[in-house]
Amino acid sequence: MFGDLGSSLRDVIKRVARANRIDKRTIDETVKGIQRALLQADVNVKLVMQLSSKIRERSLDEKPVAGADPREHVIKIVYEELVKIIGEGADVPLSEQTILMVGLQGSGKTSTAAKLARFFQRKGAKPGVICADTYRPGAYEQLKQLCEQIDVPFYGEIDCSNPISIIKNGMKELERCEIKIVDTAGRHALEMDLIEEMKDIHELIKPNQKLLVLDASIGQTASRQAKAFNDAIGITGVIITKMDGTAKGGGALSAVSETNSPIAFIGMGENVDDLERFDPDGFISRLLGMGDIKSLIERAEEVLSPADMDVKSMMRGRFTLKDMYKQLEAIDKFGPLKNIMQMLPFGMELSDDSYQVTKDKLARYKVMMDSMTNEELEDPKIIGSSRIKRIARGSGTSLEDVRELLKYHKIMQKTMKGLRGGRFPMQKLMKKFK
Amino acid sequence: MFNDLKKTFGAFIEETKVFLIEREFIVDEKSLETPLWNLELALLEGDVALPVAEDIVQSVRTELLGTTRKWRTDLDEILKDALRKAIADVFTANCFDFDEYIEKVEKPENIVFVGVNGTGKTTTIAKIAHHLANGGYSVIMASGDTFRAGATEQIDKHAEQLGIKLIKHQHGADPAAVIYDAIQYAKARQKDIVLSDTAGRMHTNINLMDQLKKICRVTDPGLVIFVDEATAGNDAVERAKQFNDAIGINGSILTKVDVDAKGGAALSIAFITGKPILFLGTGQKYDDLSKFKPDWLLNRLFGG
Repeated sequence: MFGDLGSSLRDVIKRVARANRIDKRTIDETVKGIQRALLQADVNVKLVMQLSSKIRERSLDEKPVAGADPREHVIKIVYEELVKIIGEGADVPLSEQTILMVGLQGSGKTSTAAKLARFFQRKGAKPGVICADTYRPGAYEQLKQLCEQIDVPFYGEIDCSNPISIIKNGMKELERCEIKIVDTAGRHALEMDLIEEMKDIHELIKPNQKLLVLDASIGQTASRQAKAFNDAIGITGVIITKMDGTAKGGGALSAVSETNSPIAFIGMGENVDDLERFDPDGFISRLLGMGDIKSLIERAEEVLSPADMDVKSMMRGRFTLKDMYKQLEAIDKFGPLKNIMQMLPFGMELSDDSYQVTKDKLARYKVMMDSMTNEELEDPKIIGSSRIKRIARGSGTSLEDVRELLKYHKIMQKTMKGLRGGRFPMQKLMKKFK
Repeated sequence: MFNDLKKTFGAFIEETKVFLIEREFIVDEKSLETPLWNLELALLEGDVALPVAEDIVQSVRTELLGTTRKWRTDLDEILKDALRKAIADVFTANCFDFDEYIEKVEKPENIVFVGVNGTGKTTTIAKIAHHLANGGYSVIMASGDTFRAGATEQIDKHAEQLGIKLIKHQHGADPAAVIYDAIQYAKARQKDIVLSDTAGRMHTNINLMDQLKKICRVTDPGLVIFVDEATAGNDAVERAKQFNDAIGINGSILTKVDVDAKGGAALSIAFITGKPILFLGTGQKYDDLSKFKPDWLLNRLFGG
């Protein structure tokens, strides 16, 4: 029974996509499947019930648009209803502003504060960070170290237990920073004194942005917590953290619906660069298994020059060692391969082997490829045993290493081919929805 | 004749009475459907993971189907009782008394704490250290989170406040080496318990899970304790499974139960790992640690 532990909306959509015609029974079954998937994704139970009855109703009532077959009809309605809940992504201006970070204990506020500073820094703005967490031991050191890592001004007072006075001093100290990010202690809705403290902080700095940081794995309490934070200070945006795990982030979806505030960012890992702008279409496409090519391309444009990675040529299925070399370089800037792959359309379940290439290995791969000729890079097929020997000697590696590299290239090549020949015309579908 | 009628009428009344009061109904699929769905929703709203909730509801269905019930007995009550029993079974199947274990085990005992990021491992270690020190044991802590910024400072402060020795290396050191050193220290100074912290890690990160396997291989812990939070929803079952599959945990601790989540994660974790829930973290102070009792969860899920 736990075989379907990872089952998600994707499976449901795949099932609908396979159905020949849409009748009441198919719709009921689909809606039930969607219900299951949303519940398993930690979306609020009541919200799921509302949503599923709406989908059932609309699927039966509305006539499919001309040209769309019945199954596209249902998928489109599901998509639209989800978009309606999740709303638009938050607009994050780069102008002068104060940002207050709030959330439950252990949701990842401090790491996210540093990531956010890094985000603004990369965009060319001047951020500064204030640590107002006077409760958790080590909070000061954590934020200080992170800020030193990315070379962003930091203010905190290690022995002071009054966040208000720290923030007052910090705002003065960081006066010249355009964007002031204030990190606060973790708290929850039932801690009345801490909620009061948060209100006082809010009163003092009157922040432009009040960002609620939520763990992707949060369950049914998400709505209640979000409501309490919203009632106290008025949330302007939500950040979902730890999206690099298996949690689907449905709790955050409930929070968004509860507070009527958009999702600003999602956290995708432990490094300061692992923060992504939230793209509602992309999030839902991914949830529905329709791929999120848009956000992949966007990201590629941000961190890479066009010459860095020719996505189009990759999609065409021509994938030489040179392409792989560029890709390995890109991974350094992109983050893990798995994140990239998850953004691509479904139908290409990758084996774990192709993900688990460690950083060291990547570095070694690059050294080996540096020892290859242009010809070999363009056409790896010509690499025979004597060439392998030469490459190994030239790069100071073993024959095994070179063979492993070639094997890895083959796996990647296959994967890229898979991207091209997806079984379902999802790109066509996506175009229809835009 | 009138008497006959009276007699007949009397018999009819009796029969009706028997029919209404004594008659037994066979519990069938149809009569169970709605109440079972409602119970499943209650479990889901209490953050019991969907596959676990379904499995438990299924076992209730199997148990009740075909049994008989008397007219006017409340089906909901029968269901609730069966459900309580099914849930209690999950927990009582694997009883384990932590304190008793600690008392009997050969010293020094190494206890490693694992879990995903931000569930409260370090705070929990401080609480357990406090609990054991109060029980008269000599405790040391090992700072095995050498990765996260500020992690060593965090546990260092707890150690200082509790007056407990902390073994630490520099940032980025091999966590297995830190814990190994702590055990050597405990052996040399006749300490009873080594509480070993580890960095929070995503269960999907194979490299970090491999590192955890190495830690367990090198330091051979007597207990591996999985720490997760009551606020977690469906993901609790997935990560508990992955940690258990990777290193074989001995029990779990559920933190943050003072948040108004119902704590169904306790059931998900116990169900999927087949290992006991040892403690609950109930707040920010060192004393905020209590033993887990199945009744606590039943009351949270279905009221007292």
